[in-house]
Amino acid sequence: MARFRAAPAGRISLAVLAVSTLLGAPARADETCLSPYMAKITGIEDFVYVWTLGVEGLGDGSDKLVTVDAREASPTFGKPIHAASVGGRHEAHHGGFTDDRRQFWAAGLSDSKIFVFDVATEPARPRLVKVIDDFVEKSGGAAGPHGAYALPGRMLIPSLSNRDGTGRAALVEYANEGHHVATHWLPTDAAPNGARIEAGADGYGYDARVLPRRNAMLTSSFTGLANALRPLGELVKDGEAMKRFGQTMVVWDFHARQPRTVLSVPGVPLEIRWAWGPQHTYAFTSTALTSKLWLVREDAPGAWSARPVAEIGDPSALPLPVDISLSADDRTLFVDTFMDGTTRVFDISDPDAPRQIYEKKIGAQLNMVSQSWDGRRIYYTSSLLANWDKTGDGNEQFLKAYAWTGRELTPRFAIDFTAERLGRPHMMAFGAASLYAR
Amino acid sequence: MRSGARSALAALVVGAAALVQGTSAHDASAHDGHAARPAAAAVPVPPPGSYRLPPIKPAAGGGVLDESGRRRDLLDRDRRGGITVLALIYTRCGDLCPLATADMARLQDLAAADPAAARGMRLVSLSFDPEHDTPEVMRDFAAAWRSSDPAAPAWEFLTAPDRAALAPILAAYGQPVEPGPGGGLNHVFRAFLIDPGGLVRNIYSLDLFDPALVLTDIRTLLIEEAGRGDVRAR
Repeated sequence: MARFRAAPAGRISLAVLAVSTLLGAPARADETCLSPYMAKITGIEDFVYVWTLGVEGLGDGSDKLVTVDAREASPTFGKPIHAASVGGRHEAHHGGFTDDRRQFWAAGLSDSKIFVFDVATEPARPRLVKVIDDFVEKSGGAAGPHGAYALPGRMLIPSLSNRDGTGRAALVEYANEGHHVATHWLPTDAAPNGARIEAGADGYGYDARVLPRRNAMLTSSFTGLANALRPLGELVKDGEAMKRFGQTMVVWDFHARQPRTVLSVPGVPLEIRWAWGPQHTYAFTSTALTSKLWLVREDAPGAWSARPVAEIGDPSALPLPVDISLSADDRTLFVDTFMDGTTRVFDISDPDAPRQIYEKKIGAQLNMVSQSWDGRRIYYTSSLLANWDKTGDGNEQFLKAYAWTGRELTPRFAIDFTAERLGRPHMMAFGAASLYAR
Repeated sequence: MRSGARSALAALVVGAAALVQGTSAHDASAHDGHAARPAAAAVPVPPPGSYRLPPIKPAAGGGVLDESGRRRDLLDRDRRGGITVLALIYTRCGDLCPLATADMARLQDLAAADPAAARGMRLVSLSFDPEHDTPEVMRDFAAAWRSSDPAAPAWEFLTAPDRAALAPILAAYGQPVEPGPGGGLNHVFRAFLIDPGGLVRNIYSLDLFDPALVLTDIRTLLIEEAGRGDVRAR
């Protein structure tokens, strides 16, 4: 049975966890990459919601939120059981739940629309209840909402870009009710906004995640919409365009929403995962173009550093690491590389010296990975961006579910999203009916 | 000075944390019966007035009962002009609410040492369990938690006359509450910082409901108000 409570982050939540444990409600499941401000599943997930890009001529051709049945006792286990179409294609990319987990906000990169689904009323059948279409106007020109990260009563939405399509990006806050609250532009060399700059401040954005107990927020950097929406084969031949990729991460005073340090992290740092341990004041990221794992750590109060700690595959072959997933015990890190369709598992017990312990080819291409809080169930999807996915036989579009024994992955189920006429599966999020009273 | 019930709860909270972290891994000292956060885990707080708290939404009023059973509005227009910290709780809660109420008590103590802040603010704990949390229950609960220090800011313990009166308040604050196992109520903890103009200026989860941080937000709003006064005086 799942219970409804705040996710652990910081000492007070540890106290909550301890009190809850005394009362007999241990935390065992849910994703490990959620906002710490969010209500959390403490049982096994019932559903995997998949934010899916529409493909012209396939099904209704529209972006959609697909519900996959993850209940092992269900007759429809491992099958798509619902698809909530939003109408049209918007370059479906990332999204996230609100802090009360009653809504899922799904962002479209290409036209900056944000689709708000009610997942509480009927968790197996999310319902589109609102479309936020004023992101560019209200934010003051930010564009390409990349994800949606729960804060108390609000959503923090990092942008990739701006109305000109370049990489200058912002963090944009919306109230859970759907109206704009504030915009915070990332620091640049010309407008550092008080930040100390290690080597340069490109102002690019991608991920944004908070470590509450240190009042620290970390952001990473990708590229503007002009690059992200361009066909990959064409883009890599454009030397000037290839210079316009992120080289930085920014440490922010989260409460003040002010940038403090712009770290030099060349090679396009993407997903950020904070360690969970109460004494672990560090985060990991992977750099897409240089194929390295980086460790970002607070060495002394307020003094942050970033350094590469491992290579991912053979960097000279450009495997293109995309998504990473950290186990709740801070011991293993799953790393997906898009080009070779491979997942690699690193032992990161010593965060300064990650050691690869396992690898498996999942498919012809591979993007997202989500794991349950107990580390036993791992889910993968295939799509990166509509114009970056492989073509021909390489264009496999799937969700694949595995069990992780601690030593190897064993298959649980797989869904061919093309055969099901659904589209290109991207971001995953877990749902549970028992979060909500009937 | 407060009752023994509060000290017992604080001991439970500190003891529970010790089970997780090990007894020597944190500072388990308590002040005036409060569960103390370990120094190493204290949230680094920016200086008051060094940042903005953008308005999030209008704060809602609504019909409630005070500890004497008198009907009044949640925001009590006679009291507007001050800053309100509103915490939504229920007294039977076994995990989130006692921790939050302990933090409210520490905030009340911290503010008692800052006369300007204490004069310009009040604390409100509103129950979302009207069937159990009658005015009498809230009065007893208040007696266990509220400081008798005359320098401390006011702390009111309110409840709703019934679910019908409570529903629009919870909806306005975006606070879902649902029946939980064992007769409890499922909820996420949220507290709201409301400025003198009736706007919500911050929303706290338990992780960021740090008394020093909340007091810094209150001082930030007081600095902002003083700045407005300076402009008006010119």
